[in-house]
Amino acid sequence: MIVGGYRIELEPRLKSPRWLVYVVPVVSLLFAFVVAGIFLLGTGHNPFTTYGKLIDKGYTSYYGITDTLGLATPLICTGLAAAFAFRMNLFNIGEEGQMYLGMIGAAWAGIVLADNLPGVAAVPVVMLSGAAFGALWVLVPAVLRARLGTSEIVSTLLLNYVALNLVNFLIFGSRTLWRDPSPFPDGQLVADSARLDRFGTTNVYPTLLIAAILAVFLWLFMRFSNYGYETSVFADSPNTARYAGMSASRLTVSVLLSSGALAGLAGSMYVVGPAGKVDPGLLQVGLGYAGIVVAALARYNFVAVILTAVLFAGLRVGGAALQISSDPVPIAIATVIQGAVLLFALGGEMFRKNRLRVRRIAGSPVRGAA
Amino acid sequence: MNASPEAVKGSHRSGGATLFALSARSVTKRFPGVLANDDVDFDLAAGEVHTLLGENGAGKSTLASVLCGLYRPDQGAVLRNGTQVRLSSPRHGLQHGIAMVHQHFRLVDRFSVAENVVLGDKRLSFFIDQDSINDRVSRIAEEFGLPIDPLAVVGELSAGQRQRVEIIKALYQGAEILLLDEPTALLAPPEVEKLFETVRTMAKAGKSVVFVSHKLGEVVDISDRITVMRDGKVTGSVGRGEADTRKLAELMVGREIDLSPRKAKAPAGGTMLKLHNVSLHRDGVAVVDNVSLEVRAGEIVGVAGVSGNGQRDLAELVAGLQSPTGGVITVDGREMNGAGTREMRANGLAYVPEDRLGTGLSPSLSIIDNMVLTRPRGLLVDRKAAGAEAERYITELEIKTPSPHTATRKLSGGNSQKVLLAREIFAQSDTTKVLVVCSPTRGLDVGAVETVHKVLDEARTKGKAVLLISEDLDEVLTLADKILVLYRGAVVHSADSNALDIEKVGLAMAGIS
Repeated sequence: MIVGGYRIELEPRLKSPRWLVYVVPVVSLLFAFVVAGIFLLGTGHNPFTTYGKLIDKGYTSYYGITDTLGLATPLICTGLAAAFAFRMNLFNIGEEGQMYLGMIGAAWAGIVLADNLPGVAAVPVVMLSGAAFGALWVLVPAVLRARLGTSEIVSTLLLNYVALNLVNFLIFGSRTLWRDPSPFPDGQLVADSARLDRFGTTNVYPTLLIAAILAVFLWLFMRFSNYGYETSVFADSPNTARYAGMSASRLTVSVLLSSGALAGLAGSMYVVGPAGKVDPGLLQVGLGYAGIVVAALARYNFVAVILTAVLFAGLRVGGAALQISSDPVPIAIATVIQGAVLLFALGGEMFRKNRLRVRRIAGSPVRGAA
Repeated sequence: MNASPEAVKGSHRSGGATLFALSARSVTKRFPGVLANDDVDFDLAAGEVHTLLGENGAGKSTLASVLCGLYRPDQGAVLRNGTQVRLSSPRHGLQHGIAMVHQHFRLVDRFSVAENVVLGDKRLSFFIDQDSINDRVSRIAEEFGLPIDPLAVVGELSAGQRQRVEIIKALYQGAEILLLDEPTALLAPPEVEKLFETVRTMAKAGKSVVFVSHKLGEVVDISDRITVMRDGKVTGSVGRGEADTRKLAELMVGREIDLSPRKAKAPAGGTMLKLHNVSLHRDGVAVVDNVSLEVRAGEIVGVAGVSGNGQRDLAELVAGLQSPTGGVITVDGREMNGAGTREMRANGLAYVPEDRLGTGLSPSLSIIDNMVLTRPRGLLVDRKAAGAEAERYITELEIKTPSPHTATRKLSGGNSQKVLLAREIFAQSDTTKVLVVCSPTRGLDVGAVETVHKVLDEARTKGKAVLLISEDLDEVLTLADKILVLYRGAVVHSADSNALDIEKVGLAMAGIS
């Protein structure tokens, strides 16, 4: 780009200084608040009090942060699911549907199996059942991708709609074991042994710890295991993987199934935690799609997913709270703030990898000289 | 050995009276972290064939790009017939009669030769008169000895023919100065000869040609003048007859280089690799056609041939990446048909593929991680041992890298090749019996070529059986004890290195026997 006598260029950085990793997100966040602030001013709200409220309701107040952590719990899992697949250049967009299937699978185990299991085994079995259902939901796209090279983006995305209507069918359209026998359409509750107690009066469940431990475990596993090594070779250069005798189809299928299992786990956490049943309310939240954003923000780093999930959940919780405050901010504006934060956070990446250079074009006059 | 810098320094400017067709004056061009051209002077006379010689990264392509208008210099000027020109784009350069033929052709595969030639010509009317265009293309082709059918579809042409199309295109657009970037890289020896004839014809017609090359051997004959670059600077400029290859190599590398032939010093041992009537059919075509060969311990068997004659498939068959559709492959006395690449390795075969960064190495992974690529690994990857190994080879082979944690794509071609060779040749030296090595020095600096040749020679001395598949005939001639020529997947010629008729080899490579 040329402005006046100057050429403005983006130049790749040869080395990204360590501090940039921390400074860029903070500056991005500031820019996002400035841009969203313009919208707030335009709609007659004081940006500072609005942000103050957003931060208070989302992060700093007791019930704010606990609500945020509660919402972040399944989001960490869908974020891990997306990160797991995307790291290997397998674009599983179907976390949303796989999460629904996880909910269905967990509720099935919670209704049918849990009563016959010893108490301590009920929750793990229910969670694993959800994970298995989530994995199965991605089995067909995975095999198609591995055998025929069919785009997993399209197939996993389309299955989201199938999963959505499957949930609607189970609750509103039929009388299956997932549906409560009462006339009012709702999910059947799972056995008490299949549920976890929340911490005190908060919305935080022990599943938060499971999600966080899982993130750290995945980080370590993919970093040090042979499986993690092979996936990173395959992601980097499929030809190299073939040269080294790795099986492309085995890696493709296993990565997509693991991703589906993680998304399914998000659904089962919803069942053993707040819902206790197949809850059509989950269809409104979009935690699966949000997981993709969370993973991208974390640059597909498993541990960073914990942080970005909390950031994202806080924006949701705080944004929702803005609507019911004394000076209500419409949900649309709250969404603008969310969008600006995410957009700038992703855009900031560019400045971590590149540097802006402003150079005088040779031959153009120097201002103030002779 | 001391090339007196005074004698060869600078360009052949004579007292300021001569007007050069094209000159660079103190051109400096920076890229992030690299000073690609540092105060470079270059003069090209009309009707002159002038070679820009230098290793990869010496800055010769950058200079050529500045001269044709692709890059703008940060400092300095480009002069056309003594007048400064500010070239803003290659199209602008073309208006001044300057055209560049890139190493990677920029042609539309589905178009005919004539259509490609006139592509981008603004003088054309809305309705194109095919006949007159074909006519003009044929005329240019004839005048400069570039035989080609104007109606042929470019996608079906060989590399040499495509290059002719590029040259015709430049001439059609009125180029007086042609910059050819590594023009011989993809050509068979007879095609190179043909290209040189064309270049001589163009020079006779008063056109100037700049040859950008890193191949010492071939440029001496054709050039009226050779300007050598190293590390972004001009290290010397010598006229015809003033320099031999040794002196030029020294100017290029900055030290003495030994690229003399290396042959087996001891008689070869038992047969380690044997191919018997091996074929590979793909889509009904025999891409590898009844190949039989034997490699014994302590010898290098060289497979020469022009690119795309089945070398890659042959190598992959031997390495176990593909299964032959016919014939038998035996490694160390064991029939290996249908064995995968891991089994092949377990039986003592190592493979250095031609594409080092995209196949032999994982480009974004570190040197350490690349060391374990072809090893058996447990549940956890042992990076400690690999790290120690990487450190050792970095010292032994003088691999230039900031650290063993550096991603291999950040290394130069020569250094990444050393990483690959270290892993395949040294690291498992006790168990490896057979080495399959493909074009190991393609695109490498003279200095790195010397190292690679030394490494392969050492492997032979240690009793490995080496199958060297290379498109670089000089390399095969330098190293191999036995030479085979591959043409369209079949071995069309074979000879011992001490009873070799080079002309026959060249003809066999072009498919003439």
